[in-house]
Amino acid sequence: MKTIKELSIFAGISIIASFAVNYFSPAGIALVGQWDIAKGVITANEKNEIDLNNLEIGDIALAKKLYDSKKFLFVDARSRDNYNEGHIKGAVSLPVGQFDKKIEAFMEQYPAEKAIVTYCAGRTCEDSHNLAQLLLAFGYTEINVFIDGFPGWESEGYPIE
Amino acid sequence: MFLSTAFRDGNQKAIQLNKLIKTFHDNHWIELAARLILGVTFVYASYKKILAPAIFAKIIYGYDLFPAVLINLIAIIVPFLELVAGLALIIGFYPRSAALIVNLMLLVFITALSINLIRGHEFNCGCFSKGTDTQETFVGPLIFRDFLILALGLHVFFYRNVRKLCILS
Repeated sequence: MKTIKELSIFAGISIIASFAVNYFSPAGIALVGQWDIAKGVITANEKNEIDLNNLEIGDIALAKKLYDSKKFLFVDARSRDNYNEGHIKGAVSLPVGQFDKKIEAFMEQYPAEKAIVTYCAGRTCEDSHNLAQLLLAFGYTEINVFIDGFPGWESEGYPIE
Repeated sequence: MFLSTAFRDGNQKAIQLNKLIKTFHDNHWIELAARLILGVTFVYASYKKILAPAIFAKIIYGYDLFPAVLINLIAIIVPFLELVAGLALIIGFYPRSAALIVNLMLLVFITALSINLIRGHEFNCGCFSKGTDTQETFVGPLIFRDFLILALGLHVFFYRNVRKLCILS
């Protein structure tokens, strides 16, 4: 009986504190996330996340069309190691984790008017979204997020290197 | 004659061993050390998860063991359960129950890790690029580590003597 009382106290404090902090914290998340890859990229729905859904390319064939038009620069948001192991042919590497270090060189090479498609490791990965958000903040205007990423591209047999 | 001496000697040894275990188990310094290590470990473990619940939620998703509707709730509540239980162990507030919570959580972690180790499920979403460049996880050592921590938790839980430095035990 004593144990049950004590456990209830701990559970009560934890639950109240967790919901209060989650409610007020800028890093707080929704009570239910999006964890179905059939519906798109998985995410816990962080509250300060800007909605980038309208930038998403959810169709691999459409991404290929943009690719074939040669007007779009494909930017790989994954780590350098992943990029070296294989990437969409002609894509440039800009790991979102090293964005601060790499962005200057990137901006010198590609003007803000450059049309960009970001991608990462598919629908379980949000890096392409984070990269898109950062590029938008740095003045790039035409940005698309290819949500099926490298695995989707590879599975279609499209050009990689 | 010989047999009974051997028997008696064995018995003697068993009694000595028992005494040793009892001294070890009833030593309040050992209990205090175990409690503090356990508490600090859990407070430390909770800290990053509280700062970045979205990342923790994705790790939970990666285990592929929990229903989608519960993932965010687990990611919100569990870190605070770790924090509260950890702090309670450090300040000695209902330490036995705090140890019980910690032990139950450790059992869940060990079970989850073991299931994925056995079925060969590895989740690599390539989504941890914010920290190090490559994220490798070795499940075996993680399970071993959890068992070590569990040993401390069980010690604190089954300890029956007076506890040092407790505000409410």
